[in-house]
Amino acid sequence: MTSPLLPLGCLLLAGSALANEELVIVSSNGMPRIDWPTLQRLYTGRIVSVGQQPAVPFNLLPGDPIRKRFLENVIGQTEEQYTGYWLVRRYVGKGAPPQEFATVDEMLRQLAITPGAVAYLPVSRLPSGANVIFRSGGK
Amino acid sequence: MNRLRMCALLLGALTFFTPAARAIDFDVSGFGTAGFALSDKSYHYQRFIDEDGTFNRDSIFGVQADLKFTSQFGATVQGKLAPSTASDRRWDATLSWAFVSWRPTDEWLVRAGKLRLPFMLNTENADVGATYDFARLPMEVYSIAPTTDVVGLSISKTWLGDKIDWTLEGYTGRTEGHWRYYGREIRDGGNSPGSWFLPITIKSSGLVLTARTIDDVFRIGMHEVEVARVGTKTGTDIIRDPVLGVYRFAPGGVDKLIIPVYNLGASVLLPYNIRVMSEYASIRVNSASEGLSRWGAYVALSRQFGEWTPYIYYARMKSTDAALEHWKRIDGNVLSGMLAVFNPSQKLLADIVMPMDQSTIALGTSWRVRPNSLLKAEWSHVRTGVASGLVDAPKGGNSGEQDLNVYSLSYSFTF
Repeated sequence: MTSPLLPLGCLLLAGSALANEELVIVSSNGMPRIDWPTLQRLYTGRIVSVGQQPAVPFNLLPGDPIRKRFLENVIGQTEEQYTGYWLVRRYVGKGAPPQEFATVDEMLRQLAITPGAVAYLPVSRLPSGANVIFRSGGK
Repeated sequence: MNRLRMCALLLGALTFFTPAARAIDFDVSGFGTAGFALSDKSYHYQRFIDEDGTFNRDSIFGVQADLKFTSQFGATVQGKLAPSTASDRRWDATLSWAFVSWRPTDEWLVRAGKLRLPFMLNTENADVGATYDFARLPMEVYSIAPTTDVVGLSISKTWLGDKIDWTLEGYTGRTEGHWRYYGREIRDGGNSPGSWFLPITIKSSGLVLTARTIDDVFRIGMHEVEVARVGTKTGTDIIRDPVLGVYRFAPGGVDKLIIPVYNLGASVLLPYNIRVMSEYASIRVNSASEGLSRWGAYVALSRQFGEWTPYIYYARMKSTDAALEHWKRIDGNVLSGMLAVFNPSQKLLADIVMPMDQSTIALGTSWRVRPNSLLKAEWSHVRTGVASGLVDAPKGGNSGEQDLNVYSLSYSFTF
């Protein structure tokens, strides 16, 4: 298991076409900035709101290199651990995993029309005027 | 069944009348296990396993729908097709879950409807083999809960911590079920060996505290279960007639049994990626089936090597000494002369005591074929002590002092 303390300083990675690009977390509305534990809890279903507002996390499909980076370096879990976690959580009746999208474009389109939606993307794909709620260093 | 229909209607109504119906997230998933188990004995173990092999013990197929009306309101329905709990000869399609949930804040969760209870660490997901590595959960512990499903209400409060989340869950509910018995000489209502299923009504309430870290789980629970026979009193004791020397039911009976159940469990990830799991449960049943009063425990070690997770566990359960001694006296009550006609009934009464005295050592492995599917193989050796209610004893013999090997191969998947 990756240490939960590692991700904050490790969003710059090597190994793929997007390897050196920072990941940013965006939200569709006026959601406040969040810290790393809140982000981790949101993507593991342990919280469903941020700052009294409903929050709806979005994911890319398993196998997507951006998702892999996000899980390993932000959430602190491998794809296998994350899938296994949600597999159990779903079948103990604690809800389904975050909605998944095939591409960043598809995710951004849905983000624009879903109140409280939260998504991750490479900084180069950041739409102008987007509400960034978390980025490298968490500050 | 009426309650199940009510749950289905409730879910249907909620789906239909929710104003923002177009916003409902609807997520359907399926799960299943095709499992084959074979022993080296001609008699049945755990209802189905014998030397001819069976798919009935471990196979199960199900579908689950998770609906999210808003971030606070949702519903879950899970149906399954599995060997019946009311017959050894058929499979039944049943609803495991059909509940609506309300999460007013991140810390509170209220669920109402048909629920799976939080007894052991894997009780809630026991039907979904892809969620654990064991080919079969240790029955010495997992057979102790009188029921795992109720129609009722569950309220839980979670305290989110930096490293540990604490969840306290209280629940109450009712259900109808069956207790299975097996008569090796005669059965209740028949003059041949075989099983019968006693219809019962069950009310269960409990309080369970669970602590979770990202790797570890700890749980402690206390439950009170009320069991009543349908339309009749339940016998409380089997006594020996002082004149004839024949055992029989004591007169009278009670309307319901009050059964306390306690459980304790932990699953901890140690250094070198070694996981240790251990659970303990105890139950006290003051009825003619006093052998059901027992404790059960297991300890398991596993370690993941890539896609492989080999494991070993040792499990043990034991009825109270008084129950085992009572069973011995009844089972050993062989009458002669004209009273010999009562001998089959003495064996029947001994079988009704339901003694539980056995241990299992199991060695197995799972292989993760895909992220959502597991292939599992296991060898287990079961040794019974005085007697075991999990063994359908052969005619003319008993379930005590038996050694059997069980070989299991299964494929569990979700989609």
